[in-house]
Amino acid sequence: MISKYAQVFLVGLQSNLVYRWNFLLRGVFSLFHLLGVFILWSAAFSGNATIGGFDVRQTMTYFISLIVLQFFVAAANEDHQVSDEIRNGLINQFLLKPISYFAYRFTLYLAARLVSGFLVLIPLAAAFPLLRDYIVMPTEPWRYVAAVPALLLSGLIQFSIAYCFGLLSFWFLEIQGFIMLSYAVETVLGGNLFPLDLMPAPIFKAAQYLPFYYQMYFPAAILTGRIGLESATSGLLIQSAWVCVLFLVSHFLWKRGLWLHTAVGG
Amino acid sequence: MHKLNYYLKLWLASVRYSVTRTLMFRADFLLWSTVELFWMGINILLVSVIYAHTDSIAGWSKYEMLLLLGTSMLVQRLLIGFFWANIHELGDNIRTGKFDFFLAQPGNLMFMASTRKLDLDSLANSVVAIALVAYSARELGLSPSLLDLATYAFLVGCGLVIHYSFMLTMVSLSFWITNAQGLEGSYFTLFSFSRIPREAFRGVTQLVFVWTLPVVIVSNAPAQTILYGFNPQLCLWLAGAAAFWFALTVIVFHCGLKRYSSASS
Repeated sequence: MISKYAQVFLVGLQSNLVYRWNFLLRGVFSLFHLLGVFILWSAAFSGNATIGGFDVRQTMTYFISLIVLQFFVAAANEDHQVSDEIRNGLINQFLLKPISYFAYRFTLYLAARLVSGFLVLIPLAAAFPLLRDYIVMPTEPWRYVAAVPALLLSGLIQFSIAYCFGLLSFWFLEIQGFIMLSYAVETVLGGNLFPLDLMPAPIFKAAQYLPFYYQMYFPAAILTGRIGLESATSGLLIQSAWVCVLFLVSHFLWKRGLWLHTAVGG
Repeated sequence: MHKLNYYLKLWLASVRYSVTRTLMFRADFLLWSTVELFWMGINILLVSVIYAHTDSIAGWSKYEMLLLLGTSMLVQRLLIGFFWANIHELGDNIRTGKFDFFLAQPGNLMFMASTRKLDLDSLANSVVAIALVAYSARELGLSPSLLDLATYAFLVGCGLVIHYSFMLTMVSLSFWITNAQGLEGSYFTLFSFSRIPREAFRGVTQLVFVWTLPVVIVSNAPAQTILYGFNPQLCLWLAGAAAFWFALTVIVFHCGLKRYSSASS
């Protein structure tokens, strides 16, 4: 059972290593993105010692951690891959094999993130002398302990959302529009654009009940000291609940989608 | 003049084709318009959130910043509306050999390959960008003269030429490099710099992104025209940059064209 997915993981590693230069290039571009973020926020901080209770170094640490998380946890093109396999009829082979399509795809996602995650460390290491002065990591040990389940659950949420959008291909021919719409929502409510705690308190509170909060902001906030132990504990519970909900939704979409699916060809 | 008429007719035929195509996929048009509107809203939200905690970014007030953002969005919407789909496909066409299709067409290759499709949802959203500029100008109590408005339109046009040229130069590298997709991505990263005030760039970043690459000035120059009136130096700077980048892309595109060997068997 395990060895089956271990093989999938190894194949995933190999096929992703083929695209190592693409990942590396994306990593380099993300440094340019970081530069833009740095210029904008440095200008915003000039004349202000803190924004939202955090200084420029703490804010930049948050954005740097987002880049690392982006490559280690964020779903990249899993939605498109699932969509392509449905539209091209490639999922037919999985219907006949003793393999869970969700687990198969999730294993490939893990392999891809492992490759892209380690590759982004190369440009970040090269830029470290420039970034060093802007990185301040909190010292409380509980943060690193809590970050482990938060990151794993974040990965599951990231993957499940992408997987569900991919499954929409059972109903729609073209899902790119839906993906871009969801990406826009995830960018704001996931904290990719700005730390969510800078939003007005009622909106920030409401965002904590949505799954997007747990995609990026939550693990980054634990690691960079933006939330306390109490919020982290309750957050982990809500995050786990969202993983269960999204798993059920993806299972439901898969079952309903298969009713509509027609496998053609010999 | 006769030639200009000929190309205008060709372009109008492309417009007809794009309109017909959009009318065939109306739901798609609505969905993509919403997606783009959403993304524009996100950028406005970013500015609003930052200004909820500070009064100025590099000396620019909230509405000055929104005016800059609106201008940057306008240039981007126009670029995507008129050229993006064509330029994006160009790289694929060169890789797959489908570029042969354009070789057989009766007109300038660069024109034919980059103006065939229009993205009407982006063009529709350019109205939203103009509305943002107008709203910000009103909030600032500005009443730009006709000359200022004409200069603004001219500078936005120059910005469009610069972005078109930059993008096409990047994609023309597909004639040499089989996979230039990553390079296209660099364009959007650089574009995000156009939403930042020029005064925020210091030292090396100023040298690279303000003086060497015109990514910041394309939006800052038109926005400053509305804010502070006609400035001949800015006009000359942007017009000169537009002429330089356009000449460069013509050279790169035609050099690349000589290397094109199709991909058919």
